[in-house]
Amino acid sequence: MREARGRSTTVVARARRLEVGLSSAIREFVREPVNLALLVALPPAIVVSYGSMMSAFPELPYMSSSPETLGAVAGTLFVAAFLPGVIGLFQVISARRADERLSLTGFPRATLFCARLLAVAVASLLTASISLVVLTTRTDVAALPAAFGTLVLVGVLYGLVGMLVGAVLPRELEGSLVLIFVADVDEALASGIVQTDGAFAKLFPLHYPHELFQAAVEGSGVATGDALAAGAYVLVLGVAALGAYTTLTGEEGLR
Amino acid sequence: MRSARTTFEMGLREYVRTPVLLALLLFLPAYFIGVFSYVMPDQSVPVDVGGETLQVGMQALVAALMTPMAAALVGGIAGLFLMQSARDVDTRLSIVGASLPEILLARGGVLALAAAVASLVATAVVTLTHVPEQVGWFLAATVLTGLLYGTLGALVGLVLNRLAGVYVLLFGPLLDIFLAQSPLSTETHAVAPYLPGHYPMELALDAAFTAGVDPSPLWWGLGYLLAVALVTGLAFRRALRVG
Repeated sequence: MREARGRSTTVVARARRLEVGLSSAIREFVREPVNLALLVALPPAIVVSYGSMMSAFPELPYMSSSPETLGAVAGTLFVAAFLPGVIGLFQVISARRADERLSLTGFPRATLFCARLLAVAVASLLTASISLVVLTTRTDVAALPAAFGTLVLVGVLYGLVGMLVGAVLPRELEGSLVLIFVADVDEALASGIVQTDGAFAKLFPLHYPHELFQAAVEGSGVATGDALAAGAYVLVLGVAALGAYTTLTGEEGLR
Repeated sequence: MRSARTTFEMGLREYVRTPVLLALLLFLPAYFIGVFSYVMPDQSVPVDVGGETLQVGMQALVAALMTPMAAALVGGIAGLFLMQSARDVDTRLSIVGASLPEILLARGGVLALAAAVASLVATAVVTLTHVPEQVGWFLAATVLTGLLYGTLGALVGLVLNRLAGVYVLLFGPLLDIFLAQSPLSTETHAVAPYLPGHYPMELALDAAFTAGVDPSPLWWGLGYLLAVALVTGLAFRRALRVG
């Protein structure tokens, strides 16, 4: 009986810690009104710009739909991926000192990581919703739940990329440089404008989610292999980011 | 002038003090161009350069597009963080008597150096696989792109916070250089001529694939740079007063 009560107290304490970590992460983000404006204004601007810019391209044999639709689809995916990615990066780098203090007061580092990841997931849900609504005004989306799920997945995936980069590179300038180069290579390769060769392009984070999202928009049926590969990518990145966060953002954060 | 030199040296020292940053400035442009050269198929595509249609290899085309873009990304981020990290210091410098042109000269010098280093690295990497027809002009176009985006990054850094600034700079150069200025497109997008990458990319593609280069995009690009620098200077002066 006493053991069971002790276990439930631990669970409650963990949940409470997670709640504190999450609310502090969200408060930190919403404290700056420009961040909220960004969250609302940039997704429509990017989705529309991508579609519009790509409408000037010819329809090439390897393109699965018209360039304008391809652009709007790619723009939606990128918006859903990169805002959580940038948030993930700054969550880890900017809050390094705050996390250290929380850690000293008894917060396990894994709980802090989960709180940061939950904040990224909240941002992913928001950007996925906004960008999908914008996309539906530009083109028909055949399978809305699958499309939404994929967008949330890429948000979490890039959030983990951002957190991993932030854990490895402790300064904002270096972290931002790396994230921007990784994201832009991924973005250009997954955009569908250029045909890429070989298996190398499949190693980039957006390759499989792009296939899944395209299938959801067109209603062509989700390939199990793509879904498994995207899920595995998230899992591996999650383990790597957790490992890097718990080991590399240790006590040196206070120095 | 002495305070401009001291501020420039201090800014430079901050870069030199972080070997990771220096390594990234060398590695990232090389990685960027290397990846694109590697994954592109070896096929020819018709492109419109300098008013005539040429058959160009896809790898060479993407390498020519991505070299100025690498400089734009480095320049943009360097400009953004230069303004963000130096804001407090610059306010103090102005209080102790450094004039606005001196501070601007020092910060602009650091930014120009970062853009030049990134451009040199990117151009050196691209010559390993595809030597542009006019290397000097191609380098000039790449440096101009880096400077333009560096100045724009500084402007973004004065208006937005770091998170928002990084997000804007993540999409801006790609939309401009990779999509709007792409020679693969059959028609010029309505906004493309007004974007910062327009004149540098005209010059870069001309220098990459034709033997004779028309220098007029360089002058137009420098004019664009001057206009952006003027706006950034005014925003900087306002930020100093507010600070």
